[in-house]
Amino acid sequence: MKRDLHQFQGRLSNHGTSSSSSSKDKMMMVKKEEDGGNMDDELLAVLGYKVRSSEMAEVALKLEQLETMMGNVQEDGLSHLATDTVHYNPSELYSWLDNMLSDLNPPPPRSNGLDPILPSPEIGGFPASDYDLKAIPGNAIYHQNQFPAIDSSSSSNNQSKRLKSCSSPDSMVTSTSTATQIGGVIGTTVTTTTAAESTRSVILVDSQENGVRLVHALMACAEAIQQNNLTLAEALVKQIGCLAVSQAGAMRKVATYFAEALARRIYRLSPPQNQIDHSLSDTLQMHFYETCPYLKFAHFTANQAILEAFEGKKRVHVIDFSMNQGLQWPALMQALALREGGPPTFRLTGIGPPAPDNSDHLHDVGCRLAQLAEVIHVEFEYRGFVANSLADLDASMLELRPSETEAVAVNSVFELHKLLGRPGGIEKVLGVVKQIKPVIFTVVEQESNHNGPVFLDRFTESLHYYSTLFDSLEGVPSSQDKVMSEVYLGKQICNLVACEGPDRVERHETLSQWGNRFGSSGFAPANLGSNAFKQASMLLSVYNSGQGYRVEENNGCLMLGWHTRPLITTSAWKLSTAAH
Amino acid sequence: MSGKRISMVEKSNNKRQRVNQVPKFSINDHHDVLVEILRRLDGPSLCSAACVCRLWSAVARNDSIWEELCFRQVSPRPSLSLRSVVSALGGYRCLYFLCIRPVLARLPKLRWTRDQLQLSLSLYCVHYYERLYVGAWLGDAPPSSLMFLRKPVNVV
Repeated sequence: MKRDLHQFQGRLSNHGTSSSSSSKDKMMMVKKEEDGGNMDDELLAVLGYKVRSSEMAEVALKLEQLETMMGNVQEDGLSHLATDTVHYNPSELYSWLDNMLSDLNPPPPRSNGLDPILPSPEIGGFPASDYDLKAIPGNAIYHQNQFPAIDSSSSSNNQSKRLKSCSSPDSMVTSTSTATQIGGVIGTTVTTTTAAESTRSVILVDSQENGVRLVHALMACAEAIQQNNLTLAEALVKQIGCLAVSQAGAMRKVATYFAEALARRIYRLSPPQNQIDHSLSDTLQMHFYETCPYLKFAHFTANQAILEAFEGKKRVHVIDFSMNQGLQWPALMQALALREGGPPTFRLTGIGPPAPDNSDHLHDVGCRLAQLAEVIHVEFEYRGFVANSLADLDASMLELRPSETEAVAVNSVFELHKLLGRPGGIEKVLGVVKQIKPVIFTVVEQESNHNGPVFLDRFTESLHYYSTLFDSLEGVPSSQDKVMSEVYLGKQICNLVACEGPDRVERHETLSQWGNRFGSSGFAPANLGSNAFKQASMLLSVYNSGQGYRVEENNGCLMLGWHTRPLITTSAWKLSTAAH
Repeated sequence: MSGKRISMVEKSNNKRQRVNQVPKFSINDHHDVLVEILRRLDGPSLCSAACVCRLWSAVARNDSIWEELCFRQVSPRPSLSLRSVVSALGGYRCLYFLCIRPVLARLPKLRWTRDQLQLSLSLYCVHYYERLYVGAWLGDAPPSSLMFLRKPVNVV
């Protein structure tokens, strides 16, 4: 111990700054902060480490963890620390330990997408690693305590305390002593900044540390809601708000939307009814269509399945449960126009919810499609149906013609899950589809289970799902389109988290769940061919050089995902009994 | 000067006179020949040719040139009905600039086959459909689902 102290003090005097006096100041400060203090406090203080008594337990725990990790980690891991890491102000032992631990234990991949708020400065020629503490001038958020029951007043006290203690950073050489103290593995030297930093008072923030805390806070809040502990949930929601601001990029947006949804759930503020917002949601979906390939993928793969099913038929009829702006159909009509043997007679029945201002927007969509059909010389017939819910439909309304003369396809993009909120809804619709006797029934749905009975499970699943989705949007340059797409997704999040009962319409389910449902209703899977796969792969490779997007085939269905996580699935079904 | 040299000079003078008597052939007077030549160019050369002068720019707008460019590597040749469809949707030149060139830029390793053509046509058709929406939108500009094709490609 004494030897270390001499080494340490020797180095201090070598640096020739006022470090000896500043270490004394620190000792005073530490002594002021702690009450009484036992041997450990004094030792640490003498070495120049600032540790609060409140954090002693945690510091001890982390020292233990670091010791075990240094024992377990191979030589290479530590040497990287020696050359690559810059630790600003490691005299703050708590933060230094956190930094070391996060270096040895890389954080979860999701937080890798975080952008530093400022680029890390290279001071004194030391290269900065990715896991650095990034220096941020001003009142950035610092660590918050692990225990969730802190309200905002005490956290601001913490902040001012930290400001005071960090305002005079020093240059110190450490860790040789610490290494020997801890477990004496290898003499790693970790050097710090020089006096260049002392000119500005900075708060040091580990943004990845905050990212992990943010996720923990979100989960804790959801758990609190699950257990009906609304006061705790309220406190956590405020904390989430603060933490979310300290993040950047996708994490920040996702956290903000989820925080808002949680707040709505806690305070029982229901979001505006879906019906009123229908024209807005149409617009938002258009922007979502343009920004990212999910809807395009859905349309192109479904169209390919329908095209193949319509081969050789002279009269075809498509019933679309998800008419919206009819963006799916131009591509199909063009493919039909150019197919061998000439185009068939194309009839389209579009079904959509009523417009808020009673304007017949389905009619307008039909007019535009008719215009296109005329241009490309396809005989076209159109009928629009307005229905509040698909369950209100009856096969008799659809004016079906005998199946010998007309082949029918049914298409649904992101619509079927909305029926799961009302009992009997999905069964009725599937019954209607069976009555229609389509040659193919194409379904596109989100690939995630957001319809479990337990709120916490739904919350966790949707947090992962939407984080991945927002991550995939990060590559898109900022524009109004992108913002609107995020609002579109945000509305889904809000509905998922904040609503219950029949209001909660975003009840996504996985392919296997839908498969069971369709199987028990009398449908058999129809494999999407390799043409669909090829088109989808090509489409995605054109988008942003295809980085990140993956098309997978799963039991004849196609899934589009971001890196390893599938996000949406296109599947095709036919009647399992002998058709016609 | 020697006699031989004088006669050589005279001969060349005569030749020059003869040449002056023949009317000059200017490619700009023969647009069909120009079109035939331009049809055999590749994309970048054709674009450069279209920048030479106003006349060439106007001639380069001839859609058959661009049709040839689009389908040169595709075999079998697409049907004639395709021509009417594409012309109705805005022509081959627009198809090339909006869809085919960006798609090709992003898929350099793939050969240009019917599949890429089909994809380009689908995107082109959607683009046409969206242009029908002009005036009906909340934003200022009409939506364009081909915006993703216009973004710069990071060629690593």
